[in-house]
Amino acid sequence: MRRNGMPLRGTLAVIAGTVLIISTAACGGDAEPGATATDAAKGSTFIFASSADPSILDPAYHSDGESSRVTNQIFETLVTTEKGGTGVAPSLAESWEVSEDAKTYTFKLHQGVKFHDGEVFNAAAVCANFERWYNFTGLSQSDSVSYYWVTVFRGFAKNESDTLGKSLYGGCAAKDDNTVELKLTEPSAAVLSALTLSSFAIASPKALKDYKADEVGGTAESPLFTGTFGTEHPVGTGPFKFASWTRGDKLELVRNDDYWGEKAKLSKIIYRPIEKAADRAQALRAGSVHAFDYADPADLESLKSAGVQVIERAPFNMGYLGFSQKTKIMQNQKIRQAIAHAINRENVVKTKYGAGAKVANAFMPDSLWSYTEDFAKYDYSVDKAKQLIAESGEANPTLEFCYPSGVSRAYMVDPAGNFQLMKADLEAAGFKVNPKTSPWSPDYLNTTQAGDCPLFMLGWNGDFGDPDNFLGTFFQSFSSQWSFKNEPIFKVLNDAEQEPDQAKREELYKQANALIAEFVPGVPYAQSPSFSAAAKNVQGWEPSPVLNDVFATISLS
Amino acid sequence: MSLSQAEVVLAGDSGDGAGGSLGRDAWRRLRRNPVAIAGAILVFLFVAVALLAPWLAPFPPDKPVGQVTPTSIPGPSAEHWFGLDDLGRDEFTRILWGARWSLVIGVVSLLLGMTGGLLLGLLAGAFGGVVDTVVMRFVDMVLAIPGLLFAIGVAAMLGSGLEAVMIAIAVVNVPIFARLLRGQMLAQRQSDYVLAATSVGVRRRRIVLGHILPNSLTPVIVQGTLTLATAIVDAAGLAFLGLSSNDPSIPEWGRMLADTQRYLSSAPLLAVFPGLAIIFAALGFTLLGESLREALDPKYRR
Repeated sequence: MRRNGMPLRGTLAVIAGTVLIISTAACGGDAEPGATATDAAKGSTFIFASSADPSILDPAYHSDGESSRVTNQIFETLVTTEKGGTGVAPSLAESWEVSEDAKTYTFKLHQGVKFHDGEVFNAAAVCANFERWYNFTGLSQSDSVSYYWVTVFRGFAKNESDTLGKSLYGGCAAKDDNTVELKLTEPSAAVLSALTLSSFAIASPKALKDYKADEVGGTAESPLFTGTFGTEHPVGTGPFKFASWTRGDKLELVRNDDYWGEKAKLSKIIYRPIEKAADRAQALRAGSVHAFDYADPADLESLKSAGVQVIERAPFNMGYLGFSQKTKIMQNQKIRQAIAHAINRENVVKTKYGAGAKVANAFMPDSLWSYTEDFAKYDYSVDKAKQLIAESGEANPTLEFCYPSGVSRAYMVDPAGNFQLMKADLEAAGFKVNPKTSPWSPDYLNTTQAGDCPLFMLGWNGDFGDPDNFLGTFFQSFSSQWSFKNEPIFKVLNDAEQEPDQAKREELYKQANALIAEFVPGVPYAQSPSFSAAAKNVQGWEPSPVLNDVFATISLS
Repeated sequence: MSLSQAEVVLAGDSGDGAGGSLGRDAWRRLRRNPVAIAGAILVFLFVAVALLAPWLAPFPPDKPVGQVTPTSIPGPSAEHWFGLDDLGRDEFTRILWGARWSLVIGVVSLLLGMTGGLLLGLLAGAFGGVVDTVVMRFVDMVLAIPGLLFAIGVAAMLGSGLEAVMIAIAVVNVPIFARLLRGQMLAQRQSDYVLAATSVGVRRRRIVLGHILPNSLTPVIVQGTLTLATAIVDAAGLAFLGLSSNDPSIPEWGRMLADTQRYLSSAPLLAVFPGLAIIFAALGFTLLGESLREALDPKYRR
């Protein structure tokens, strides 16, 4: 602060009470890593301030950005997103072919690739991973554990819940050592880009077995991973290897010197969870970290003036209010519409999001192909909301409204702030709001995915450039998070996924957006660019709009 | 007959010193002490604002009344004396309402803590012996843990919510009151009037509840006033650390401080107002408590 030439503010802040000072000092202390920035510069150790701990380092089991940010360095997928974009690019597979009926995918694998434990990467290893996912049993089949498999491949070998559908996965065959043939039970045009998801990364089959990756206990709400694969022994083929992880403190990765591609320039990456964006910014200014994601829009100006690089990722996300139709009140369409009308989305975006953010009207960003605005929109109107409540037959509707703590996302910069604005809006329309909060990971994610929050605040960072990744992920089949069955919506999204013809797909997604807007399964409200910040000496960072960043290209000057 | 005479003597012994009752004497000294006056004014203002917040506040405490953005938060103006907060609500209104929450949290946690402490202290002081040892060792154990840290632990264990915060602060205060009361009672037990009462055959229960306890309460009242100050600061500290109500729109000073941290560089006044409010409220109770202690201490009698 003094560097900005504002000693007066410093003085005022001092007056602001011992509580503030003591606590901020304590936070500052937390942010200081043991290794100082000068040490780090020498040994090319890259210290990254994450906003929370990963939930688990087994790609098959995670669906949050904090986890995939780490597993993207350790593991690799068959195909990945192109640099800086959302198109499909080769990774572990050097080329691929899709059959005419879009039911058979043939991948040619790179040769000479080894897992970190020395095991050989080959077609058998790829199939072993697919078979593992397909054969998940028990808790591993729940949304909160194998979220992406369920959303993309829909079901398992033996479905244990009737909410799961027939699996899209039709078998995996190792044609020879370097050729994998992936069969689907139905045509799908979206699977190829879906395979860029970090959750479909290939892990060492031996390590999976040795470290009991498939042992999952606990409950669907809070699964407990008893095996050590995802906490102590994640083994993949990526440019970095896992070194150590102390929850709440730091997670260390070291360079994989036997990497098959261009080797990483950094020798070590340290992730430090720092919950608050302001503390992350402070840590960067103080030189104790090199970079962080999810910069607070409020801090951008002061970061820039302090000589920090601000990196903007184009908006490829969407913040929404979701309704779980497990509860009776949320099954009432009038209530859902009333909520949509009650919330002043314009005000939320203006108050809490930085430059470049926009109101979202659909469950996909407006930059994605097939987006048009031919669907019902819900303008802010307290009168309409009141009228709908009156028509709904619910006297004194009470909403249990969940919001997360300890998280900041581009689509949800300040969840508690959003919550307060929305609560005021809902109360103005005549709802009673019952606040409920829990830490983002794992509690909040698990309760929302299990559908135990009638009204919840979430968002989505797109993973690949296909509307299927937004609409399909949310609404293509029953999921406990939303807990509704709407056959017309499921059908049109299914058709859209299977249709090989691009023009027809576009038409189908337009229809889907219209149906969804009418059904109001939730209220999309914001799409926002996300900002990352890096110290001056950080070079070669290639930010991906889908957060598929690989830190191998980064160097410190 | 002899019994009631003994009681008359005892009553005189407890209150009367060198002429003029202790209470009247204390009041006189309190009135002449400028520090006490300052403390009393602050406390009076705090309580008045807390009680009258709904009528004093110009705006609703939880609704935005103006447009703000992350980079522009208007400061004080004629309409909004303390400016707007990060969600566009009137900061002055929220500070006023905050007094109410602070008072509620402070008083409830004080009463809870005091009751618990008095019960334990009474137990130890009245029975002595093994009971005393057990209770006091327990109290020592609790006292060994730093107060705020202990409160954080208790609050975290009880889960989120204002009730948890109040109980946490109360629990921290229990041993303080227990120890204080027990010490006083032990001192009183040695005094002549107790000896006299015992020798004329007054029952122990009557001696403890009717004589020793009332005579030991003065320092407890002083401690209570001082504890209100720390309770307010503790509540703010806990809220700052995220241990507070589930509803973030409750205008609670500590939480307001925490929430406006993000805007420290663009709107530093947002941290100053709740900070000052906490300081003045705590200062008021501290000054008043300290002057009370002085006024009631016979050593200061002239």
